[in-house]
Amino acid sequence: MVADAVWWRIAWRNLLRNRGRTLITASGLAFGYLAAVVIVGLTDGMMAELIENGTRLMMGQVQVHSAEYRPERNMHHTIGGYDGIDLEAFLARIESHPDVTAAAPRLYGGGLLSSGDETKAGLLFGIDPEREQRVGTLLSRLSDGRLPEPGAYEILVGVEMARQLELEIGAEVVVVAPASDGSMGNDLFTLVGVFETGTPAIDANYAILPLPDLQYLMAMDPGRVHEIALTVTRAWDTPLIASSLAASLEDSGHAVEVTPWTELRPELAEMIDLMDAVNYLIAAIIFAMAIFGVANTMLIGTFERRREFAVVRALGTSPLGIGRTVVYEGVILGAISLAAGALITWPIVVWWHNSPLDLTSVIGGFSMAGSQWRPILRIEYSYDTPIICAVALFLTAVLAAVYPAWKATRVPPADALADR
Amino acid sequence: MRFRILFKLAARSVGRNARRSALTAAAMVLGLALLIFSRSLAEGAHEQWVTSAVRMGSGHVAIQEPSYLVSGKLEHRIGAKAYQRALNAVAAVAGDRVVAHAPRLTVTGLASSASSALPVRVEGVDPDGERIFSDLDEKVVDGRYLQPDDRLHAYIGVELARRLGLKVGNRFVLTAQSASGDVEGQLVRVAGIFKTAIPEMDEGLIHIPIETAREWLGTPGAITTHAVLLKSSRDTDGVVEELQDRLAGDSDLRVLGWREASPELDSALRMDDYGDYVFHSILFAIVALAIMNAVMMSVLGRRREFGVLQALGLTGAETGWVVFGEGLFLTVASGAVGMALGFLFTWVFFRDGLDFSGIAESESAWASAGGIVDPVIVPIFHSSQVLLSLYFTLIIGTLASIYPAMRASKLDVAEAMKFDQ
Repeated sequence: MVADAVWWRIAWRNLLRNRGRTLITASGLAFGYLAAVVIVGLTDGMMAELIENGTRLMMGQVQVHSAEYRPERNMHHTIGGYDGIDLEAFLARIESHPDVTAAAPRLYGGGLLSSGDETKAGLLFGIDPEREQRVGTLLSRLSDGRLPEPGAYEILVGVEMARQLELEIGAEVVVVAPASDGSMGNDLFTLVGVFETGTPAIDANYAILPLPDLQYLMAMDPGRVHEIALTVTRAWDTPLIASSLAASLEDSGHAVEVTPWTELRPELAEMIDLMDAVNYLIAAIIFAMAIFGVANTMLIGTFERRREFAVVRALGTSPLGIGRTVVYEGVILGAISLAAGALITWPIVVWWHNSPLDLTSVIGGFSMAGSQWRPILRIEYSYDTPIICAVALFLTAVLAAVYPAWKATRVPPADALADR
Repeated sequence: MRFRILFKLAARSVGRNARRSALTAAAMVLGLALLIFSRSLAEGAHEQWVTSAVRMGSGHVAIQEPSYLVSGKLEHRIGAKAYQRALNAVAAVAGDRVVAHAPRLTVTGLASSASSALPVRVEGVDPDGERIFSDLDEKVVDGRYLQPDDRLHAYIGVELARRLGLKVGNRFVLTAQSASGDVEGQLVRVAGIFKTAIPEMDEGLIHIPIETAREWLGTPGAITTHAVLLKSSRDTDGVVEELQDRLAGDSDLRVLGWREASPELDSALRMDDYGDYVFHSILFAIVALAIMNAVMMSVLGRRREFGVLQALGLTGAETGWVVFGEGLFLTVASGAVGMALGFLFTWVFFRDGLDFSGIAESESAWASAGGIVDPVIVPIFHSSQVLLSLYFTLIIGTLASIYPAMRASKLDVAEAMKFDQ
C-alpha cells in the first residue's frame, strides 16, 4: 500500500498537466457558485423588501388587541372594553417584558376627508408620534412637512391622497367619521405633512392623526386604543415571544390577544417559504448542470489516461488507489473552484448590496401576497446561503468524480497496455 | 476547400465517439428540455394571471374618458352619448375575438356600518353583462350575485363583510362625493358575499347595480369605464388599434390596453420575465461551458488523429472546420432531441396543468398585482418561443465550437505525430 500523500500528489500533478482543462472546469464551477449566490441573494432581497413593507412599515412584529377585536376589527372592541385601560401603566407593563424593545398604541377609524371641493374616504390612523417611530418606519417616510403635535388638530396624509384632494401643507382638512356613540364626529384639521411609502393602498387611503385627537373625534376616552404594536428583540423567534408575553399579561385584568406577524399575515409567511423552495430548486438546477460539466471532463480525462492507469496497475497498485487519485482530483478541483468562486462572488455581492440596481424608471412597483414591492434589485446578505452553496459546490465536484473514478478502477491493465 | 470531405470527417467523428457525443449531448438536452418546460409554465401562469386580473379589473381593453386614468375622478366620466359611440365602436370590431364587454361606473367612497367604517371602491355594474365578463359571481360564498331587477343590493368582499360585521340581508351605508360635488349617502343591503383571495378586493370592492349608482351619484346614463374582455391577451394590441382607428378624433373617449390601464400588473409580469431571463441565461451559460468543455477535450485528446489528417494534406483551417462541424452536428442533434423531450415531457405529464397548491396553503400567497395565479398551472406553447430557444441553442453551440476549432487549426503536425507523447 502506497502512502496516501502520493495519490494527492498525482492528482495535483494531473490537474497541473492539463491546465486548460482545469481552468475551464473550475471556472464553470466558480460561475455556478456566483450564479447561485447572486440569485438566492436577490430573492432574499426581494423577500426582505416584502417583509419590510408588509410588517415594519406599520404592523410591528407583534400586536396586542382586545380578545374580541380580531378578525372583525369592530371599532367598539378596544383593549379593556368600553372603559379602556390605563394606557401608560399598560404600556409600561408590556415594555417591562425582557424581549419587548418598543410598544406603540394605535386607534383605527374610517372617515371622509374633505378639502372643500374634493372629498375622499380614508382610513384614520391614530398614533403616539414619539412611540410610533420606535415601532414602525411609516413616520420616517415623510416626503414633505413635519410630524403632527398632539392636541393641535394637525394631520398627515399620503402623497396620493394629497394629490386627489389637491391639498398643500398648511391647508385645512375637514374630517368626518362615525363615532363610537353612534353620532358623526367632525373636526377641522391642518395638514402639516405628507408621507410617501410607495405602497399605493397606503399612500391613497391613510391619514395619520395624533391619538388624543382621533379619540376625541370618535368620542372615545383617552384610555381606549384598538392595538398596541411591538417590536421584539429576536425577530425570528416572534411566535415564542408572543406566547410568553400573552402569559405575562394574563393577570392584567383585561382579555387580550397577542399575535405574532406570521399569524397576522400568513400569506406573507407562506410566500417567503415558497420563495425559499424556489431558491433551493434554482440552486439545485444550477449545480446539476455544473455536475455535468465536471463529470464530463473527468470522464474524458480518465479515458485519455487509460495507458497511464494500466502502467500504474501493472506496477502493482490496487484499483482502489487509482480510484482514489481521481476522487482526490475532484476534491482539489472543488477546493480551487471554491476559492475562485468566493473571490469573484464576494466583491460582486458587496458592491450590489451597497449600490442596488434601481429599475424604478423602467418598470413600476407592484403588490405581492398583500405587500408592496419596489423594483430595486438589492442583494441581501445572508450567512447560510454562501455556506450552503459552498458545501453544495464542493460535494458537486467530489460527487462528479465518483463515476469517472469507478470507470478508472475498471481499466484492464493487459488490454490497455496492448492497445486493445 | 473540400467541404464534402470535411463534412464526412466531422459526421463520422461524432458517430465514432458515441459515448463522448452522448455525454455532451446529454448536458445540452437536459438544459434545453428544462428551458422549454419552464418557459411554457411561465407563459401559462402569465396568461392565467392576466386573465384573472383583467376579468376582475377593467378588461383587456378599456374605454375611458382621456383624463380618467390619472385622476380617477367622477368628473372625468363618459356621458350617455359618448357611451353610445363607444358601444357602436365595440360592436363594429367585436367579431369572435371579443368574449364580453361591460360598462362600469366606479367611485371611491366610505362604507360604514354600526361597527366600523372603511374606504371602498364601489363599482356600478350591469348584473347580466358582468356575470359573463367577470368571474366574481362564481366566487360567492354566501347569498347570491346581483340580478337585473335588483335596486338597493350590494355584492361585497368577505373581508369587508367581516370588518363591517355584515351578513347577507344586513343594511349599510355608502358615502361618496357625487357629480355635483356634494357628499351623498346611499343605503344598500348585502345580497351576497364573495371571496377572491386577493386582499385588495376582498377588503375593498363592492358591486352595486349601475342604475342605483347613477341615481346616487347624479350621473344619468354615465359610465367611467367600458371594459372589453378578449379571448386571448395576445389579441389586445390588435383590438386596441382597431378601436383607436374607429374612435380617432373622438375627444371624449380613450382606448387603453391592459398594460396601460393596469401598470402594476404590467410591471409584475415584466419583473417575472426578467427573473426568468436571468435564470435562463445562467442555464445557457452553463450549457455552453459544458459543450465547449466536451469539444475542447475531444480536440486535446485527438492530437495524433489531427496530425495524421494534416500529414495527409488537410490544411490547418480545414482541420478547424472539421472540429467546428463536429460541434455543430452535436448542437443540432442534441438541440432537436432536447426540444422534443421538453415538449413531450411537458405535454404528456402536464397538459392538464401542474398543481402547485401543495406549496402554499393560503390562496392569497398566489395573489399579486391585482390578479391571482391559479395554483394549477396549464403550460402554454408559443411557436415564437420555440424558434427563439432553437436560435439560442444554435448560437451557443456555434460559439462554443469556435475556440476548440481554432486550437485544432494551430496544431504542430510534427510534434503531434511523434509516436510516444
